[in-house]
Amino acid sequence: MVAERDLGPVATEAVAARAPDGAFDRAQRHAWWLLPCLTGALVAGSAGFVDPYLLYVATSWVIFGLLGLSLDIVWGKGGILSFGQTALYGIGGYLAGIVAINFAPLTGNTLIWTLPVGALAGAGAAALIGFFIFFSRMGPLQTTIVTYTFTLILWTGTVSFTARIGEAVVGGDNGMSNIPMLTAGFGAGAAPLGPAGMFITVVLVATAVYLAVAWLMRRPFGLIVIAVRQDDVKTELLGYDVRRQRLLLFALGGAVAGIAGALFGGWATYLNPNVFSVQQALLPPIYVLVGGRGSLFGAFIGALAVGGLSFWLGGGVIGGQTTLVLGLALIALVILLPGGLVGAARALLARCGLASVAAIPPATLGGYAGIPAASAQTALDRPGKSLTVQGISKAFGGVQAVDDVTLEIGSGSVRCLIGPNGAGKSTLLRLCMGLERPDSGSVRLGADEIARWPAFARVQAGLGIKMQRTQVFYECAVWTNLWIAAYARLGDARAAAQTAARALDQIGLRGRAHEPASALAHGEQQWLDIGMVLCLDPEVILLDEPTAGMTASETRRTAALVRALAGHAAIVVVDHDMEFVRMLDARITVLHQGAVFAEGTIAELRRDERVLDIYLGRRGGVADL
Amino acid sequence: MDLDYLAVVALSSLSSAAVLLIATLGLAVVFGLMGVINLAHGEFIMFGAFAALTASRSGLPFPLAVAAATLATAAFGVVVERVVIRRLYGRLLDTLLATWGLSLALYQTAVLIFGSVTPGIGMPISTIAIGRYTLSSYFLFLIGIAVALLLGTYLLLTRTHYGIMARAAVQDAETAAAMGIETGRLNTMTFALGSGLAGFAGAILLPAFPATPGMGFAFVTKAFLAVVAAGPVTITGTALTGGTLGTAASMTASFSATVFGDIVFFVGTLLILWWWPNGISDRWRRKL
Amino acid sequence: MLRISDATGGYGKTVIIRDVALEVGDGELVALLGRNGVGKTTLMRFAMGLLAGGRGTVELDGRRLPMAPAARAQAGLGYVPQGRRVFPRLTVAENITAAAVACKRPAAAMLAEVFEEFPILAARASQLAGSLSGGQQQILAIGRALATGPRMLLLDEPTEGVQPSIIDDIAAILQRLHRERGLSVLLAEQNLDFAMSLTSRCYVMDKGTIVRRALREDFLRDKALLHELLGV
Repeated sequence: MVAERDLGPVATEAVAARAPDGAFDRAQRHAWWLLPCLTGALVAGSAGFVDPYLLYVATSWVIFGLLGLSLDIVWGKGGILSFGQTALYGIGGYLAGIVAINFAPLTGNTLIWTLPVGALAGAGAAALIGFFIFFSRMGPLQTTIVTYTFTLILWTGTVSFTARIGEAVVGGDNGMSNIPMLTAGFGAGAAPLGPAGMFITVVLVATAVYLAVAWLMRRPFGLIVIAVRQDDVKTELLGYDVRRQRLLLFALGGAVAGIAGALFGGWATYLNPNVFSVQQALLPPIYVLVGGRGSLFGAFIGALAVGGLSFWLGGGVIGGQTTLVLGLALIALVILLPGGLVGAARALLARCGLASVAAIPPATLGGYAGIPAASAQTALDRPGKSLTVQGISKAFGGVQAVDDVTLEIGSGSVRCLIGPNGAGKSTLLRLCMGLERPDSGSVRLGADEIARWPAFARVQAGLGIKMQRTQVFYECAVWTNLWIAAYARLGDARAAAQTAARALDQIGLRGRAHEPASALAHGEQQWLDIGMVLCLDPEVILLDEPTAGMTASETRRTAALVRALAGHAAIVVVDHDMEFVRMLDARITVLHQGAVFAEGTIAELRRDERVLDIYLGRRGGVADL
Repeated sequence: MDLDYLAVVALSSLSSAAVLLIATLGLAVVFGLMGVINLAHGEFIMFGAFAALTASRSGLPFPLAVAAATLATAAFGVVVERVVIRRLYGRLLDTLLATWGLSLALYQTAVLIFGSVTPGIGMPISTIAIGRYTLSSYFLFLIGIAVALLLGTYLLLTRTHYGIMARAAVQDAETAAAMGIETGRLNTMTFALGSGLAGFAGAILLPAFPATPGMGFAFVTKAFLAVVAAGPVTITGTALTGGTLGTAASMTASFSATVFGDIVFFVGTLLILWWWPNGISDRWRRKL
Repeated sequence: MLRISDATGGYGKTVIIRDVALEVGDGELVALLGRNGVGKTTLMRFAMGLLAGGRGTVELDGRRLPMAPAARAQAGLGYVPQGRRVFPRLTVAENITAAAVACKRPAAAMLAEVFEEFPILAARASQLAGSLSGGQQQILAIGRALATGPRMLLLDEPTEGVQPSIIDDIAAILQRLHRERGLSVLLAEQNLDFAMSLTSRCYVMDKGTIVRRALREDFLRDKALLHELLGV
């Protein structure tokens, strides 16, 4: 695991720094694929012992579980509440059905047509709506409503439209019939599967899809998804294009939903517009909530529970008292058990001290089994970039927060921004970073004019920021936080591990590398935040009150760190702690009421009566601004 | 295409927009003052319709039946707010889910009690003639009701103490509390107001739209879209989006088929949200 | 009149203030001084009941105040928050009315009173509060707090981001209110001169606790000490 020769200068407890490695832990590491395979095999195997009619109905439960999985992917993992998964499911089903009707007779086998078509149709439609939703940067409420709208449009459309595509007849309200039943064999003589055969086939497909998704979630992609869910602003400030990440995740969910729809068509041999109805759209959230949001396999448990319940109550899943029970169950679940059954179990485990922390699976680390020993950083020989703002202004309503500010910070130098509260310092940093749009003026990073660039583009160009409030991924381990930051810059798992290890030593947290960020003290969290910025190796660093809440010794360490960085990057520091500012020994700009008031070294400013005035508020020395 | 026909199309489109506005106002009030989208709003409308139907059948004259239905639905809203909404304060998506569950539970309950089809109470027969065409005057009456409701709500929210405090609370709940505003009680009143408006809508539209368990769904899909597309300045915003989208949709429907009208509405919403992701009134400096 | 005891609390896991105790007597003007980040605002929020998970007690006229901020406002504790926080899409008049009626004061009478006290607000009665300048918003925030009919006023950094001429206006207003109505005030401030021109007694905070109590004379005598404490 961790190379024990070099644990870094600050680590005192080797135990805490080591990732676990017993037989049990190794089994745990492989559990992610072992358990689903075993479960799938067991379930498929049970087909020999169960009544064929029950098998036939149970097949639909597995399909619904897959539909629930598609929602858990985007909602449980990604935080996007989509009411459109059944619509994607329906699209997959309809298109796969049309293709199957026309082409399946050629090969006998339907799966080779329906599965890819279902996946592509679902992914394609999801990509279209996803582009619309995520690239317009709408909020979560609008997102949900737009997915709802999408379902409504499809429902209205399919109810009214009829069409004839090849041999397939899409008959509006009457739906589409004669979809070939699932056939696994090849050739003209292949017979459709019986109840047992269909069940086994569907279980195998579901297991395969689940494994593929679980595998993806253990790749960097999955880690970024978790990061976006916890704090999308921070993720963007690391340089990730959050819109694209969400779009990819949504398309993945669409593919899974499309496959489920294709399977459904092959199972029922008939599809009608009800698949796009509101009552149907209600089901995936229930499956996910019952089973446990974010668990992925919980969706199958939920589908089983709901399907089983309605089977037992008699009558289909829609209609009859089942809808009433489901509606009330949804209310109860949301209020009482937001984590679902799995969540409740997890909470119990957490109470016993067995909580799991989002950590990086070793396979992802590109060859490293744990945290590598930090190697020395090769000296960077780059020309360095400067940051220039010119004539920048920003007003909020009637309040002029930043008033025609012009500043130049040369590469490799440090600048302190000070001024009384409300002087506009934080707003100025936010304008440089792209978190606010300026009313006028320009921002230049090196030779590029970046005033219109989105935040992540500025980060990729070499601008880094540590905001006033600590922004870390609280559910993830310390080491994971740093790795996610490093990966954003480097795109290579192995290099990211090396960079993150270096940062870990620089901030002195190697001893706590595997603990969740939420367990750190406030000052340590600030350090972790700074560490993540360091992993980006920015050429210009903006620090907004980096010593807020720090003790005196922590403040001294921060000052030392800033001075050490000063050679490689231009640094802008906003702070109120004058001791800290003194320690930095840099040029100072004083802001007052949004405008540049004075500039100079700390010695010069201490002698400047006007500066003392604005801090002490002495009258006489300050002209009415 | 003579002038009379155009006039008739225009008037009937306006009255469709009016119907939409009457149905949407309660939702807009709750969203604008509490930040909550009540997905069961349509079922509240249904509640009001059935209440008015029952009251009417037991002998009450129509105007009184409407009043009774409004109050009954408002009372029901108080119960829902206390039991469900209040526990999910701040959890926007969870509120969506819980109210969605409520909507289906209410729908199914209505089916179980009333069955799927119910007779209506019939519309007043009077009509207005425009050239060769006739329009039911009840629909024109509804235009008047919509305008009155909009004005009344606007006045309620800007001239009464309740309205001013409720608007303060939604803009800055913490500071409102520090000024002595009891946000919990206000929220209950707001939800009751929104529910009452829904009940009123169901009742007043009864002559034109017979009460069925599924009627809520038919109304509110467009109502949700109009409110979300409207943005933070909810009353004026919803009047704008509901008015324009509703009129556009209904004119399209007049010249082709209903489904095209619906599609125009839906696509229009998507376009508005593309340009103004937070709603059309995001940058407006208006009061309400 | 106002007594705070054992005030402890912060945000989430971070404890910002620890065992703070202070008192403001009837009709007194007291300042709370200290650099940014020492916990002045946290303490003010605690006094108003806005600090979730805070421990300690707040007494007004010997009676323990209930936990809810609305109840504290209605009991006579007025609040002018840091950053003003006027209701942006309410007019100036509506801002004042909202506060007045919430605390069961007659709206028309309070409006007239506040407008007389602050002509600058009367001139903009139907303007949306969000379109006012920083200094005007600050005056509105003070007027709004006064409309609740308080016996004790909590003012959190009223000079922040406000131009000097309006700072002078605010100082004059507060002095007048103190003289004419016997209003008690607890003023958290960084602007030393403003604080000293109004108050006779102050507490100095550092790192979440009160480190010093002083009278105005002490500071006039020992300016260097003061600068050091304030870290300038």
